[in-house]
Amino acid sequence: MSLIGEDYFHYPHRRKGLDHDRFDRRYLRDLPKVDWPDGQRLKIWLTVHFEHFPMDMPSKPFVAPGGMDRPYPSVWDFSTRDYGNRVGIFRLFKVLDKHGVRATAAMNSEVAERYPYLLQEILRRNWEIAAAGTDMGRLYHGELDRETEEAMVSESLETLRRLSGQAVTGWHSPAHSQSASTPDIVAERGGKYLADWINDDMPYAFRTRAGEVTQLPLSWDLSDHKILFSQNMPIVDYEYQLDAAFDALELESRTRGARILSMSLSPWIIAQPSRIKALDRLLGRFLSVEGVGLATGEELRQSWLEMQG
Amino acid sequence: MMRMREPFSYDYAPYQNRPKITWPNGARVAFWVAPNIEYYEFAPPPSPTRSVWYRPEPDVINYSMRDYGNRVGFHRMADVMAKYGVRGSVSLNVAVCDHYPEIIERCCELEWELFSHGIYNTRYLYNMTEDQQREIIRDSRETIKRASGQDLDGWLSPAISNGETTQDLLAEEGIKYTLDLFHDDQPMPVKTRSPSRLVSVPYMMECNDVPVLNFKNISPKNYLQIIKDHFDQLYEEGEESGTVMCVPLHPYLIGQPHRLNILDEALKYVTSHDKVWLATGREIAAWFEANHYDQFVDWMKPFNAEVAK
Repeated sequence: MSLIGEDYFHYPHRRKGLDHDRFDRRYLRDLPKVDWPDGQRLKIWLTVHFEHFPMDMPSKPFVAPGGMDRPYPSVWDFSTRDYGNRVGIFRLFKVLDKHGVRATAAMNSEVAERYPYLLQEILRRNWEIAAAGTDMGRLYHGELDRETEEAMVSESLETLRRLSGQAVTGWHSPAHSQSASTPDIVAERGGKYLADWINDDMPYAFRTRAGEVTQLPLSWDLSDHKILFSQNMPIVDYEYQLDAAFDALELESRTRGARILSMSLSPWIIAQPSRIKALDRLLGRFLSVEGVGLATGEELRQSWLEMQG
Repeated sequence: MMRMREPFSYDYAPYQNRPKITWPNGARVAFWVAPNIEYYEFAPPPSPTRSVWYRPEPDVINYSMRDYGNRVGFHRMADVMAKYGVRGSVSLNVAVCDHYPEIIERCCELEWELFSHGIYNTRYLYNMTEDQQREIIRDSRETIKRASGQDLDGWLSPAISNGETTQDLLAEEGIKYTLDLFHDDQPMPVKTRSPSRLVSVPYMMECNDVPVLNFKNISPKNYLQIIKDHFDQLYEEGEESGTVMCVPLHPYLIGQPHRLNILDEALKYVTSHDKVWLATGREIAAWFEANHYDQFVDWMKPFNAEVAK
C-alpha cells in the first residue's frame, strides 16, 4: 500500500491566481509607468530595526534570525546585539543625519520601554515609529493561540503609541513571521501597512478582516542582517549588492515607473566600526542622483494610495 | 525495506579517450540555461519523507521569497536572456500554467522549451508507487501540451525527489532526457529497463543559483566568477570533445535587483565566445541521441565487463 493517498493528487487551488486570497496576482512590470506624486522616481526607504533579544528567549517553534546561538546564558550573543542600542545606533545617527535621512524605526516595544533616552533621540529626529512586536523572543507564528497573539499585538502597538505619541500605522513582524491571523489582528488595531512579505519591490493591497491594508516591500535578501550576519559576507559584498540593486532599480524607475529601494538596517550589524563607512558611501552616491529621494513607510503608503487614484 | 546500493542508472565511463562529441558548427560547448519556474504551495499536503516548509505554516518569509520570482523576477530574467539571444529551457512546475498563464505565454513568445519539474515544488515523488509517478508524468505532459503545444521531452524531479525507478518510468513514458543525474559533464546514455532511449543531460548544481547563493552563501560577485571559470574550463576541454555547460536559475534569486547584473555579465561573457552552441536541453539530448548515443554505448562496454574471478 502506498504511503501517498489520493488526496496528494488533488490540487484545490490549481487555477488562475494565487493559492490564497490575501492579495491579487500582479506582475510588477504591469504597473503603469508613473513617477511618485512628488515627481521623484526612486524612493529609498531606510528602515532601522530596534531589537531586543532576550537572553532567555525560547527556541520553539524556531529562533528568530540573530537569536541566541550559544548555550544559556549567552552573554556574548546578548551583549553583541544590545551593542546596537547603545553604541551602533549613535554611530548610525551621525551618518543618517549627515545625509538628511528620516528613517522608519521598526521597534520592538520593549526597546522603547527599556531605553527612554534612545526613544527621545529617535523622536527628536522626527523619524517614523513602526511597531515590530514586543521583542525578538516572542514571535508571531501558526502555533500561537488567538488570544495570546492579540495580546502581543496590542501590547506592542499600545506601548509604542503611548511612549512615542505617534499614530504608529506600520507593522513589521519579528523575523518576517506571521500567523494566519497576524494581518487581521494588526489591521483591527489600526495598523495600516504591513512589511513582512518579501514577494515584491512595490506596495500592493492586502486583504484583512478589518479591510484592506498596504503591504510594503521591506527587503530581507538585501538587508544587512541577511548579507553580513546570516550569510557572513564581508562588507565589500554588501556594498557591491546595494550598488547593484540601486543601479537596477534606478534604471527601472526610468523605463518602467516608480520604484522603492528598501535598505533594512540593524545597528548591531551595519554600525560596526569596520562597516559604517560603506553605508556613508552608499547614501552619498544614491542621494546625489537626480530623481532619487527618501521616504518613510507611512509616506510610501500614502503616496502609493494617491497613485492608485 | 531493501535499499539500493546505487542508482543503477548508468555505467562507468572514464573522462578520457571518449568518442569525440561534435556539436553543430564545430562548437566546443553546448551552453544552455535552465530557469526553474516554480510554484510552492501556501498550504501543501504533508509529505511522509520531508517537511515541506521550514517554519510553522504559514511560512510567510519562505513562501513569499519564492513568489517573488513569478511576480517580479521572471520578466527581469527573461529580458536579460532575450538581450543575449539565449533561450531558456524551463524546469517547470506545470501548475504555473494554471496560476500564472502569462508567464507561459512569454516563454512561448521567446521560443523557450518547457519541460517538467513536477506539478508543484511542494509535491514530491517520494513514497509514490510507479503508477502514481506515471500520473505525475501524464499530468505534466498534458498540461505542457495544453499550455504551449510542446511535447514533454525533459525531466527534473520536483525538488529533486526521485524514486528508485523514476528513470525507468521516464523512459517508458517516452521522456527523452533526464536531469536527475549529476555524474558527468557530457550527455550520457541512461540505463533503464525500457527499450526506449533516455539521455542524461548535464544540469550543473555548481552553477545553480540556489545552492550557490542560498545554501553556500557565496556572494553574487563570486557566483559570476564561478560561472566564468566553469565555462573557461569546459570551453578549453571542448576543443577535444564537445562539452555541455548548464546554468540553472531561479527567478526569485537571479531576478532580484542586486543580482540581475550577474546574469547580464555571465551571458555577455559566454556569448562573446564564437565556438558556443546556444542550445536547449531538448536540442542537446536529440543531437547526442542521433549522433553519439550508440558510439558511447559500445565504447563503454569494456569498462563495465564482469571481471573474471
